[in-house]
Amino acid sequence: MMDRARVAIRLGARKVTRRFGPVVANDQIDLAVAPGTIHAIVGGNGAGKSTLMRILQGVDQPDEGSVILDDAPVRLTGPADAFARGIGMVHQEFMLAPNLTLLENLILAREPVGRGGLIDWRVAQAEADRLAALAGVALDWRVKVADAPVHQRQILEILRLLYRGADVLILDEPTAVLAPAQVTELIALMRRLKAEGRTILFISHKLDEVMSVADVITVIRVGRVVATTTPAQTDKAQLAQLMVGEAVAMAKVAPYSRPPGAPLFSARGLVARDGRGLKRLGPIDLDIFAGEIVGIAGVAGNGQDELVASAAGLGAIAEGAISFGGRDFTRAPASRFRAAGISYLSADRSEEGLCLTASISDNFIAGREQESPFSRGGFLRLKMINAGAENALAKLSVRYGRLTDAVRSLSGGNQQRVAIARELERGPRLLVAAQPTRGVDIVGIAFIHEQIAAFRDRGGAVLLVSEELEEILTLSDRIVGLYGGQVTGQLLRSEASVEKVGRLMLGQKAA
Amino acid sequence: MGVAMLPALSRAAGVAAPFALAVVIGAIVLAATGHEPLGVYGLMASEAFGGERRIAATLTAATPLLLTGLAAAVAFRSGIFNVGAEGCFYLGGMVAAVLGFALGDWPSVLLIPVALVGAAIVGGLWLVGPGVLRARLGVDEVVTTLMLNFIAVDLTSWLVNGPLLARGSANSATAPIAVGAELPRLLPPTTLHLGFVISLALVALYGLWSRFTVAGFRSRIVGLNARFSRAVGIHVSSTFLRMMVLSGLIGGLAGGIHALGLVHRFVAGFSPGYGFTGIAIALLGRNSALGIILAAIVFGALSSAGATMQLFSDVPIEIVEIMQGAVMIFAVAKFGFGQARGARA
Repeated sequence: MMDRARVAIRLGARKVTRRFGPVVANDQIDLAVAPGTIHAIVGGNGAGKSTLMRILQGVDQPDEGSVILDDAPVRLTGPADAFARGIGMVHQEFMLAPNLTLLENLILAREPVGRGGLIDWRVAQAEADRLAALAGVALDWRVKVADAPVHQRQILEILRLLYRGADVLILDEPTAVLAPAQVTELIALMRRLKAEGRTILFISHKLDEVMSVADVITVIRVGRVVATTTPAQTDKAQLAQLMVGEAVAMAKVAPYSRPPGAPLFSARGLVARDGRGLKRLGPIDLDIFAGEIVGIAGVAGNGQDELVASAAGLGAIAEGAISFGGRDFTRAPASRFRAAGISYLSADRSEEGLCLTASISDNFIAGREQESPFSRGGFLRLKMINAGAENALAKLSVRYGRLTDAVRSLSGGNQQRVAIARELERGPRLLVAAQPTRGVDIVGIAFIHEQIAAFRDRGGAVLLVSEELEEILTLSDRIVGLYGGQVTGQLLRSEASVEKVGRLMLGQKAA
Repeated sequence: MGVAMLPALSRAAGVAAPFALAVVIGAIVLAATGHEPLGVYGLMASEAFGGERRIAATLTAATPLLLTGLAAAVAFRSGIFNVGAEGCFYLGGMVAAVLGFALGDWPSVLLIPVALVGAAIVGGLWLVGPGVLRARLGVDEVVTTLMLNFIAVDLTSWLVNGPLLARGSANSATAPIAVGAELPRLLPPTTLHLGFVISLALVALYGLWSRFTVAGFRSRIVGLNARFSRAVGIHVSSTFLRMMVLSGLIGGLAGGIHALGLVHRFVAGFSPGYGFTGIAIALLGRNSALGIILAAIVFGALSSAGATMQLFSDVPIEIVEIMQGAVMIFAVAKFGFGQARGARA
């Protein structure tokens, strides 16, 4: 352990190749992570990052080449083996027991045992406090994971690796679920861990973070390493270029003129509560007109989730009223929202936006199974379904094998395209889009933006909720700030700037 | 990528594995008790499938299992773990038997359908409560349906010891049903009856329903991901309720067919756990029509071979029960394994 500072490569890969049938997921990948550094891996969806991580974790074995640990090639037998050698990983989907407290999760499977074989809670608490102090975070250890905010769960995952003695931390898109302020917190934590001598390998789509925190950056595209560089030697534009291998076209957005007529969607005095009954939103008034994109700018947890749920008909409204197309929808069930022409892109793609275990065509028609031409007299018309799905997926350039494949088999960006195909093909009048490009690569983001803008140009109304300021600024015709569940102001695109929207997000009035 | 290159093959292996493991365990038990495993298995196979009569006995034994397996599968695929088919089976059996002797002077073409429909309706009504509790309040249906089983078994047992006890009978049994209420035998003198054909047809119908109908699609998607279903506008709670009641209808019908086809009356201890075996059958068959049919026939073969085998050998009937139990354990283990893998991949 002590000699590790002297090795050149703490963790790495030498000519690692991994094939899945005809697909080469990793092609002769070389990677060298020096001890005590933060090493970023960037690459688009399907670039082969996850496969490489699985190999470095011992979950998967390379067809050729080998994993390097402390300058020597090794053959990892599994995650437990990797862990025994000091390599721990935080996955994108957290692996925590929701019904246990933070403290219980921390010590799970490595409980300090005291007299009589009982758990020594005092030792556990002392250890937890020590780790929290080391990480410079304050956690309420008695809270259940299910009740803890997402960034605390993430910190807990990291602390758990430290508790178990890992000195190399692999973080898979650690900031994907975090709000900007929490990202800053996480980056500070990563820096502190590095100062402590630990090694961090992290995967990200977000070039800002990579540029600010990484010592070394490895860029992967279609299974190959295309560059290994440092922030000093490169810039965001160049990294983006390397990731996609082609110039990224930004969505063209037509100039905005307020659509005439009455608003299509309108909320008055809307108040909504979260799952625990806490008031999170309102009272707010919000109008959305046909033919405009209204972007909600706000840091996560400021009422966006409740606004989205209310607008999609999925959350009970505590007070106030919602009308759509001139009709009252305040107490309407989700199915009536759908039937009236409200579509919904969920921020939680894997649990709500898609049914991962069902096939691509099932995901495409879900909710429309009773509509013509997909069924007649209660019987599905498989030919029509397949033709409809093929057609819609082709329009969105979804890359898939067969329509009967589970959606799970697609990359994140292609999964989101399937969801978009379903939600736009049904000819909605309002699209509620929550974090529509989360976890999608740069090419995919531009494409999705084009789809949303095109829908608006066809006369559709869009409620866009995003934590990506750039996304809000690129797409929105009007920007509404949300802070502490209250509307802090609104800006037309022509008057918006990063600074102004930033002030709205932080609860300051637009100057 | 890289997930299950040969899905059909791996699925077939998944279905066969519990049986294979059970056969191995049975062989160990047989060898340990001084029997020749291969010989006993040979005897079992010939007792279950050797000749028309034995096949008929196997299919007779499979008949109630087809429907209790179907009752479980209908619920499971929509995400409801209904374990209440046993109670429905008892109630359905009793209702069919009572109608079978009370309306004994009706013509068969009327009497049989009325008795069976009555049995199904009572089974369906029995599960309305758990269905509503689950759909509206999220009450765990495993607990409610399990408990209702005890109530159903004891309620029917009390009825056949009291109000419905056949005059002059010392046993806890109703009067026999009218001859006109009996389901016709298919291969006299064997006991194979029309109920087998009805059951088989219903399972086949289920196979079509699950693949080709809107309702089948919805119940499957709800079972896979209820939150997703709600977001795309499928009525989750009414799907839960409907599938629960449908499961109860099928469970009740299973009991009715058993009463009219084989027992010809209702007795206390009417079912040796057909409702629970149905759970294993649905799990083994992965809720698919073909899987249910195969699993029901295997279980039918085990019980019919077990019944006759001990007449001709010193192999105890318990070995069959051990094998049935082992199949069930491995079926459930397999089920859990599949779930865990599904969650990770």
